[in-house]
Amino acid sequence: MATTDQSSTEQETTGQPSSEPEGGPLERWAQSLVTNKDKRDRLYKLLFYVAAGFFLVTTLFPFYWLLVLALTPNSQIIGGDWGVPIPFVGTEIPFPHPQGFNVHAFVEVFQQVPFHLYVFNSFVLATATTIIVLAIASLAGYVFGRLDFPGRGPLMLAVLVVSYFPPAAFLVPLFDAFLGNAIVVPFVGWELISAPRLVNTPGSMIMPFSALFLPLAIFILTTFYAQIPDGLEDAARVEGTTRLGALFRVIMPLSAPGIATAAVLTFISVYNEYFFSSIMSLQNQPEQWSPLVGGILSYQDQYTTDFNLMAAASIIGVIPVVIIVILAQERIVSGLTAGALKE
Amino acid sequence: MARVTLQDVTKRYEDVVAVDEMNVEIEDGEFVCLVGPSGCGKSTTMESIAGLTKPTDGTIEIGEADVTTLPPKDRGVAMVFQNIALFPHMDVYDNISFGLRLRDYDTNEIDRRVEHATDVVQLEGMLDRMPEEMSGGQRQRVAIARAIVREPSVFLMDEPLANLDAKLRVHMRTELQRLHQELDTTIVYVTHDQAEAMTMSDRIAVINSGSLQQIDPPLVCYNEPANLFVAGFIGSPSMNFVDGRLTAFGLETDTFDLKFEPEHLDGVSVGDDVTMGIRPEDVYLSDIGQSADDETAPIGATTDVLEPMGDEIFVYLDLEHESGAPTDEGGMGASSNQLLLSVEPDLEISENEAVTVTLDRSKIHLFDGASGEALTHGIEDLADSPLEQGKPNVGGPDE
Repeated sequence: MATTDQSSTEQETTGQPSSEPEGGPLERWAQSLVTNKDKRDRLYKLLFYVAAGFFLVTTLFPFYWLLVLALTPNSQIIGGDWGVPIPFVGTEIPFPHPQGFNVHAFVEVFQQVPFHLYVFNSFVLATATTIIVLAIASLAGYVFGRLDFPGRGPLMLAVLVVSYFPPAAFLVPLFDAFLGNAIVVPFVGWELISAPRLVNTPGSMIMPFSALFLPLAIFILTTFYAQIPDGLEDAARVEGTTRLGALFRVIMPLSAPGIATAAVLTFISVYNEYFFSSIMSLQNQPEQWSPLVGGILSYQDQYTTDFNLMAAASIIGVIPVVIIVILAQERIVSGLTAGALKE
Repeated sequence: MARVTLQDVTKRYEDVVAVDEMNVEIEDGEFVCLVGPSGCGKSTTMESIAGLTKPTDGTIEIGEADVTTLPPKDRGVAMVFQNIALFPHMDVYDNISFGLRLRDYDTNEIDRRVEHATDVVQLEGMLDRMPEEMSGGQRQRVAIARAIVREPSVFLMDEPLANLDAKLRVHMRTELQRLHQELDTTIVYVTHDQAEAMTMSDRIAVINSGSLQQIDPPLVCYNEPANLFVAGFIGSPSMNFVDGRLTAFGLETDTFDLKFEPEHLDGVSVGDDVTMGIRPEDVYLSDIGQSADDETAPIGATTDVLEPMGDEIFVYLDLEHESGAPTDEGGMGASSNQLLLSVEPDLEISENEAVTVTLDRSKIHLFDGASGEALTHGIEDLADSPLEQGKPNVGGPDE
């Protein structure tokens, strides 16, 4: 490298073309890169594509693998010969590819178990949680981000502390309460309230999810709402809105990227959630609000595992999230490019 | 259209009093400017009228109604903000019609009013533009249209021109005056720019440190300032101040004496500190034959810095010391040993030139040195000729 630098500076000072090549081909190539802007740009472009390609492959390969598994008949998956190379431009490269073309798996998914109901359950849970979280976090974010009151810092910290606990810590007491047992003060035995039996209902999942994902959403929305200039809110209030009206008509539309971020994070987390919901729904049945992952796992029984169906179900389950993320992405990008937050 | 009455309005924050017992009555259709330096409480006063801030004490009435506890939307006021505050996610039409749409007006009525408002502020054909696509002046006009479209009883304008460039500001100033004539609505206008206040308003309310100093028509504030602060704040360049002491014969300063009968002054007695104020245009250069009808004895001075403005030249004069004790030189409201006067632009004058000046006795203001309150505006009636003739270098007419 040192020689390259030297020769390049030499070249700049003397202004001579690189007609006297020194060193090996690598050195000459490096030198030509330093002096030739076109070559440099081409290298940068190439490096960009290499990096982008790497990330695309690592993120998309699992999906490809799912597709391969879904299309391969189940009997072939276990005994399948994945090492069979596929011909590629005169040579052969080992690349996992479908052992057969069993599109029927995508239909069979719904025939074996009512998979659409599991998807529906997760979708409803995720949507309801997202709405609750956004509604509460918007109000909290407004208060924390735009109002000045004593104790704001400690209160905000207290809210964030909730997210420091591992969710498992809440599981046993919540399960106990949601079973409909009376809530009793320890040691004394006083009965506080007798809780309704919530297991096997969406309430037993939406409530803990909302509580768990609220702190992050509040944190995101607080930072976004705090950035909206006071003048805009004042203008809206003088024009005829209440504080709440200004929040919905001015502050929230201008914070669309933040709201989209909070919404997507909450939705995906709840949609993928299995730990809480598998326990709150006593059996893995869609009627008891078992979630998507429960549906995928139901292709596995004591003796057999339908890997191809699980893969097909996974792909189907991903589709709603993909749609929502793409829609939200649009909002995020448009919100960012508008750059209209200055007054 | 409505009167606005502020009664003992006080706004206290934890450790500061932003507005201190403000009492103002603004008549129906009047254009009143709240003027004062930054942080004097004028914006807080305005926000209290708008309802964006709740006063700690006192009542605010708009029309006949006590609005002290009403939210901004129910006060019938419209506001134009310093930072314009257009909603960036709405186009011009949506911005202007925002308040009307909130109140569920009929679409035709909204269209009619928006059209009228854009007509008034000359924004035709821009209704579908977004705020970010417009220039500063256009945005400000949208903000004004948004205010007038609701036909409010009171307009509140919080330094609406502060963010515009100088040329546009002067232009918008005339437009606002035209608007006021056209709409004949009560306008409360906050500014720190005394030129804006002087040119536009029916009355000026000068505010300092949260309390009202004077509320009067512009020329009264200019010619008869209630105290040192108003005298120094109104007028550009500001009034000259010279500190002195009251003697049995008049005013004695480090550099010159004024002769008058001090018994006629209320509230001060011989020996008290008194500050004399005189505006630059009331200082006359006797070397070139300038004189007032009723002028003081000549005062020797040396020219210091010249500021040619084109239509006139501002001349800074160093007064010749009698005692030699230097006094501190300060800005607005503080007295100095310098006098500023304005002369014709074609006058041949150079720096460090010895000159003689006289002051127009009818334009001399005297302020109580301790309280800053005005004692008199013009000392021509206080003159006592027999006494003055006895001493050289004293004020008063030579005849």
